[in-house]
Formats: sequence, C-alpha cells, structure tokens
Amino acid sequence: MSAGAVVVRRPSRMRGLREFAARFSTRTDGIVGVAILTVFVILALAPALFVGPLENAVTASGLPLDPPSAAHLFGTDELGRDMLNLTVHGARISMTIGLLATVITVVVGVGIGIMSGFLGGRWDAFLMWVTDVFLVLPNLVLAIALAPILLALVGDNAELFGIRATLLVIVVVIGLTSWATTARVIRSQVLSLKERAFVDRARVIGTGSGRIMRRHILPNIINLIVAQSVLTFAYAVFTETSLAFIGLGDPFSPSWGQILNAAQEAGAPGLLAWWYIAPPAVCVVLVVVSFTLVGNALDDVLNPKSGSRR
Amino acid sequence: MTAPDTKPVTPADAAAAIRGRRQWPLPKQAVPGAPLLEVEHLSVRFRMPSGPSVKPVDDVSFRLEDGEALGIAGESGCGKTTTALSLVRLLPANGRISGGSVKLFGIDLVPKTERQLARYRWREISMVFQGAMNALNPVKRIGDQIAEPLEVRLGQPRDASLKRAGDLLELVGIPRKRASAYPHELSGGMRQRAMIAMSLACDPAIVIGDEPTTALDVMVQAQILALLEKLRKDLGLSLILITHDLSVIAETCDRVMVMYAGKVAEEGPVRRVFTAPRHPYTAKLLSAFPNIRADRRNLEVIPGAPPDLRTPPPGCRFAARCDKAMPQCTVEVPPEVRFADGVRVACHLFPPGSEGSLAGDAANLAIASSMPVATAPGEARP
Amino acid sequence: MSGRYLVNKLARAFLTIVAIILINFLLFRAMPGSATRLTHSPYQTQEQIDQEQHRLGLDQPLIPNQLVTYVQQTLSLDLGYSFKYKGQPVTQVIGDRLGPTLVLIGLGEIISIIVGLALGAYSGWRRGSAIDRIGGGIGLVLYSMPYFVIGMPLIIIFAAGLGWFPTSGMLTAGATYDSWSAQLFDFLRHLVLPLATVSLGLIGGYSILMRAAIAETRAEDYVTTARAKGLTDGRILRSHAFPNAMLPMVTIIAINLGYVVGGAITAEIVFNWPGIGTLTVDALSARDYPVLQGIFLMLAVTVVVANLVADMVYGLLDPRVRS
Repeated sequence: MSAGAVVVRRPSRMRGLREFAARFSTRTDGIVGVAILTVFVILALAPALFVGPLENAVTASGLPLDPPSAAHLFGTDELGRDMLNLTVHGARISMTIGLLATVITVVVGVGIGIMSGFLGGRWDAFLMWVTDVFLVLPNLVLAIALAPILLALVGDNAELFGIRATLLVIVVVIGLTSWATTARVIRSQVLSLKERAFVDRARVIGTGSGRIMRRHILPNIINLIVAQSVLTFAYAVFTETSLAFIGLGDPFSPSWGQILNAAQEAGAPGLLAWWYIAPPAVCVVLVVVSFTLVGNALDDVLNPKSGSRR
Repeated sequence: MTAPDTKPVTPADAAAAIRGRRQWPLPKQAVPGAPLLEVEHLSVRFRMPSGPSVKPVDDVSFRLEDGEALGIAGESGCGKTTTALSLVRLLPANGRISGGSVKLFGIDLVPKTERQLARYRWREISMVFQGAMNALNPVKRIGDQIAEPLEVRLGQPRDASLKRAGDLLELVGIPRKRASAYPHELSGGMRQRAMIAMSLACDPAIVIGDEPTTALDVMVQAQILALLEKLRKDLGLSLILITHDLSVIAETCDRVMVMYAGKVAEEGPVRRVFTAPRHPYTAKLLSAFPNIRADRRNLEVIPGAPPDLRTPPPGCRFAARCDKAMPQCTVEVPPEVRFADGVRVACHLFPPGSEGSLAGDAANLAIASSMPVATAPGEARP
Repeated sequence: MSGRYLVNKLARAFLTIVAIILINFLLFRAMPGSATRLTHSPYQTQEQIDQEQHRLGLDQPLIPNQLVTYVQQTLSLDLGYSFKYKGQPVTQVIGDRLGPTLVLIGLGEIISIIVGLALGAYSGWRRGSAIDRIGGGIGLVLYSMPYFVIGMPLIIIFAAGLGWFPTSGMLTAGATYDSWSAQLFDFLRHLVLPLATVSLGLIGGYSILMRAAIAETRAEDYVTTARAKGLTDGRILRSHAFPNAMLPMVTIIAINLGYVVGGAITAEIVFNWPGIGTLTVDALSARDYPVLQGIFLMLAVTVVVANLVADMVYGLLDPRVRS
C-alpha cells in the first residue's frame, strides 16, 4: 500500500483496543451516548440503592397524582407512588428486557445470517424466504396473539431470573420480530466476505466449511455484530415500551412503557398530570437515542467505509 | 510523432489564430497577450481530521499555450490530479488553495469567489474524468447530460441544446440517435467519448483529461487518443492530460511535466524529456516502461515508496530513493533551473548556473546519459 | 425488468402469504379457549355445545380438515364472525374501522414524506454543518419517540392545556351537526393532534434516511462532474443528487407504507381514534380472536403487497434495471 497516499482513502483495519479508543474518542456523539447509557446502567443495576425498594399500592408514599414537590421530585402516580422511585426501577426492567431480547435477536440473527450467506444456494434461498416471512409479521398484533399462548404454556406465574412470564413473553416477541433484520445485515456482509480471496484460498487448501465460518468469517464480522447489537438494543427498548403501553406489560414490574400505560389508563394527559408522563417518556427517548448514537458511532469506527476518493 | 509538423510561425500567431476561432468571446477580464494558462507557485492544503495538514501540491508552476497539449505524469499520489482539479477549485471540503496563482488569459482565478469562478468552469476549462461510468449520472440520458451546460450555463433553448448535443456526439464518433441512451447502455469506450463530447459542449479553451484512457483496453485507448488528437487539431483545443502512463503522453502531448510527491521534478518538451531525462526520477520512470523493440531486459524498479506527505522529508523529496543522491539533497530543496532547450528541472545535479554555459550543459547531459535511458516509449508502439 | 424477475417475486410473495395464513391459523387456534369461546355460554347444555361445535366444524381434526376449511374460507375472504360484535362478519367489523386509520395514516404519510424528504435532503447536502447537526439531531430524537411519547405531551399542551383541540376521539361524542361542513370542521379539529403525532413520528425516520441517501450521492463522481460544469449547488442537489437518492428512498417509502398501518396502533390508543389500532386493543381485551386474526392477516398481506409494489416501482424507476 502506497504510504504516500495523500488523501486518506480508507482507514486501515483496526488493530487493538488502543487504536479503537483513540478513534472512538473523536466521536462526540458516541461519547455522549456512552455517558448517558452509563448513568442508566448504573441506575438499572441497583435501583434500590438510589431510591429504595419499588413502591407498590400498599407502600405508596404520597398522595395520588401529586405534582412534583420537595418530597416527591417527580410527583406521584394515581396510587400515590413516588414517580422518581418508579422511574428508576423502571430502568432496570426496561433495560433488562432490552438486553435479553437483544441476546436472542443477535444469536438467532447472526446464526442464520452466517449460515445463509455462507452456504448459499438453496439453503440461502430458503432461509431468506423464512426471513421474509418474519419480516412481514405485524409486531404488535403478533405480540398480542402470542402473549396468552405463551402464558398458557408456562403458566401465569412462572419466573426466570426474577422476571415474570408476562415480561418474558415480550422478550420472546421482540426477539422473534427483530432477528430477521440482523440476519439480513449479517448475511450481506458474509456474502461480500465470501467473494474475498482469503476464503477461496482457505477452501483451496481444503479447510472445512465449519472451520472457515468460524476462523475466517466470524472474526471479520464481529465488528458488525457489535454495532448491530447496540442498534438492536435501541430497537428492543423502543418496542418493549410500545408493547407495554398497549397492555402486555406486567403491572407488578413496571417498565417505562408500563408506567405510561398506567398513565394513559388513569387519564393523565387529560388531567394535565405531566409529571406522570414526562419522566418515563424522557428516559425512553434518552436511552433509545443514546443506543442509536453509540451504535452508529461504533459502526463508523469499526466498519470504515471509504469516503470521497478525491 | 506528436508535435504537429505544420506549426504557425510564432506562439503568438498560434494563439491569435486559435482565439480567433472561438465560438464565444473571451472573458471580459482577459488580459490581451497573456498566455492561455499560467500557474505559478500553486500550493494546495488538505486539512486532515487528526494530525497536521497535508500539502498534496507544493509550489507547482507551469504554463500552457493555446493549442498545446501538456501531459502531467507521475505515480499515484504525486499530486497530479489534485493540481488539475485545483485549477477550477474542485477540491474536497477539507481542501484549500494555500498559495500561488492560476492565471487564465491573465485572469487570476485563485482570489475569485465560488460564484465568480463558476463562470470559468466548463466554459473555459472542462474536464474528462476517469472511469466515465461513475462520472456520468446513471439516471439521466447522455444527450441531456451533454445539453445541460448549454441550457443552464449558456441559456440556450432546449431543442437547440439537444441538437448541439447530437452534433457533439457525431463529432466524437457516436451516432446521434444514441443521445437517448443511459450511460450503462454504452460500452466503456463510448462512454469516454460521450464524456469528451460533453466536455466540448461550451467550446472551452482547455480540456483536462484525468486518466481518460486508464480504464480502457489498449485498442479503445488508441482510438480515444486518436480522437483527442483530431479534436485538438480541428478545434484548436488545449489539453492537459493527467496520467501515469508515459506512453499516452508520448503519443499525444507536446510537453510533459513530471511530478513527484507534490512537487515538479522535471518539465519540458516531450521529446527532450523522454530521450534525455535530467531528473533521476524521470529516468527511473522511463526505464520502468518496457520497450517492445529493445532486447529483453529486466524492468527497473524504484525501491521504496513515496514519502508520507503529512511529514515531508527536508530537502529533495526523492532523495531517499535516488541513487544519485548527494548529502546536499537531504538538506536543501533543489531550486528549479531552466535550460535552453526548454526543460525545467529541480535537482541538485543541475544547480543554478549550470544552465548557462554550453559546456556545463554538455557536462550535465553526460551525467544524464550515464543513466539508463529508454527510447521514448512512444516510438515503441507499432 | 424481465418477466422472469417478476414471476419470481410474485411466487415468493404468494408463498409468503401462504405461510402467513398458516401461521395465522395455528396461532389463533392455539390460543387458549379459542375454540370453545365460539360456543361458550353458561346456559347451554353440553348437547347444545356439542351441536354448535359440530356445526362449526370444530370437532374435526385440526389438521388437515380444519386447516383446509380455514384456508378455503380465507381465500374467499370469509374471515368468520366476531365474538364481540355477535353476528357481524369480521370483514365488516374491520371495514368499518379502516376508514379513520387510512385517513390518519394517509395524510400523515403525505405530510411526512414531503417534509421529511426535504429536511433530509437539505441536511444531508450540507453534511457536517450546523444545520445538518440540528436537523439530524431532531430527526433522531423524533425517530426514537414512539407515537404515544409524541402524542401524550401534545395532548397535555394543546388539548388539555391550551384547549385548542379536543383530547380524544374522531368526532365529538353525541354531537349533532347542522350541516356537513360543521361535521367536517369537528372532524378536522379532532384530526389535528393525531395527525401531528403520526407526521412527526414519520418525519424523523424519513429525514434520517434521506439524509443518508443524499450524503451518499454527494460522494459520487457525477456530482464532481456537475460541479465541474459550474452548476449551482442548488441545481446539483435538485437535478443530480435528488433523483439518484430517491431510488432507494422510494423503495423504503413503499415498504414503510406497508408497516405503518399496523404501527399507528399506539397513536390511535392515545387519542382514542376509532381505527384499526383501537380495534386491535379492544379485540384483545374482549378476546375477540376472529377479529384479531383478520387484522393479523390484513396487516401481513399489506406488507407483502407493499414490498412487491416497492420492487416493481424500483424496477420502473432505475434505468439500469429497466433494460
């Protein structure tokens, strides 16, 4: 490669964490996103540390629908529960659901994407058709339909990691509806990698398919997977909020969407109870925007594309 | 070979003859008697996202007369394309002309605003880009693209513009009815011809060709070069041809300017420079080209790579790879020296003062002749 | 665009729809108590229940008999009868509510396409400038806000707060009108906030996408050629960049249209807009499975058709594909 290239055509492949850190630190949007997310992650990990245990109808600490005051910084809901308390606990629930859903999406999406892209031929055609089917399924209606079925399967009160079945349903639904996009993105990268010489060389020396997939293709798409995961997380939080708002959430583990659902049911907008709506709404937007910023910054830093050639 | 045999008596006559044939009047600000294009000490600076800025073009000067064809040669990254683009300020967002002047008909284009400069784009200086597939808009018909500057810049009515577009297509050897075709429907050679037709739309004084034949196969390349030569003769066009392919320059150009790492190494009439190169880099460049007639021999390779222009080395930029390097070369930038035969060189082998005496000149040429010299590549072509 | 390409796409679309119908069938038949709901009533004797079940074919094996019957009925657009609205065919129930949704979504799309594409184009053309950052930032924030997050503050400020608009519904409940223009005015008053909500939500997405599409064209060589021609920036954007950027955008818009109908559910809930969205939620709480099934089918088929249309339109627009 000509070292005298004057116009930086294409940043060279990333080597090591330090170079990544240096590159990423030039992205103010990414840094802002990380900062905001860090705050929320800390809150989500130990909400009780900051605001005490989750209030419920019995332990409600204030008067119903009280506007913000010194005692209750964000006011109270219609049961008298402190909004700050609810919102901070909501972080844990919303982010946990987002995380679990992202894991499912990425595992399934990447798996199918790699297989489809690499195997090609009929497998590819078939898997892409399956992807198509999942892509056209209407998210919300599917969730509405699946929820009672899954609940009937596992029983209303089953729990996993301390998360009740109703919420796990949401996790499953988000996973079901978003793996398809990830699969497509991964697949196209795999397809272009397949064209590259090193895969052919590996084949020529007789390397088996599985090995090629693991040792040659996977490392080259890790970057893409990371960037995609972050963006998926944004989508997962967004969708969870919507599903909970529709009524598929768990009133006992109020995520931000669930809080907004309760607000809607209580008629908060009409009652001008803005404090009931603002905190969870702002949090959702902040988290989704932050994930998107970080995801885009990661994508730019990890997967450089050549800019203008002149 | 390349220089036309029937040259008018003086360059001034040639200029007058060509300028007299213009379809549109000279720009109002034109200075009478000024050369067509005079570039002096041009420097371009790119601001980099991190680190120091880069100067892809550093103190470059040259002149172009009416009806002349100048070839700019050098390896990738030497600044030849940037030089040409900066003439009409087609630089990327982070690029700026940081010094020097570009005088077209004596009018300095550098201090002009973008709006003022637009007057000269395409109407006086037009371009033919490399790889016309991308340089042509894929969703517009080529007839429309050729007619566009006529309609928009010259305010001509649509039918007249389309008719002229058809004329131009015929001029470059494409049937008129192909004007309704889209770029992807044409072959590579035809696209390049279409780009040439487009560049002629406003009857410009100078056409800059940036690697116009690089993406084409040899047969088509020959056709395109022949076309350019014919157009030059018939229309009195002045050409600036940028290419790394010396054989193209030998075939088509009157003079050649060899660039290295953003600076001019050598410049002069093609015959002189290619048969008796003075600058060691020029000699190496020439010897890197195979000679079809000579005995088989190993192609010379220039060891090393061009310097990183973010941190240009002190002194002569070629010193690190030059086998004639002297201690002085890594310290002092070699000044430009002009010889009687019309060649300029920037090399410490030819210090100021050596150009005056004939003896000095002969001595220098002796040094030069000790370097492996290829026959001019153009001669090797069947 | 070759016939072969078209046939391929149609075949794929058809297969997808078949899969949808299958999934639809399994999904809703598998729902707990769905079959018995048809006939459930505490006052019926077991014999009457059995009779109903037999009449409706529910005592047949699920596969293949019930499945085949279901597919046949679906293909002939017999989607069954609503549980909640006894006796009304599902097609009618859905049909009644389709109008309000289409008006809301249709107008919302028109507004957001015009505004979103313009904002995105201007912003993407001046990549890196202050306008771009602000525009891009606003677009991103809007894109990250679910409809109800946009709608609820709008209600608080403009409806409950300033009182300019009603807080919910499509028409004032129980109102009588002197003339059709009075009714129209009432309708429009109710339409403003929901329309603003949907539009803002969609503008976010379109502006971001258009911004990216235009920014990509900016780096293309034909833009450099256009600059070399001395054309003004505005002309290059309009005449060269925009047409090229619209190629992928048209596809995106077409596909998005397919999804948007289903996606406006949360907007309808917030404003209690009597469309498909609120119908879905009502059907959920009433366990009205046939209606849910019908909605599922309709939404999925809409997306499939939208994708097909997107492909065909792209094939017509891009001269490289046309030949």
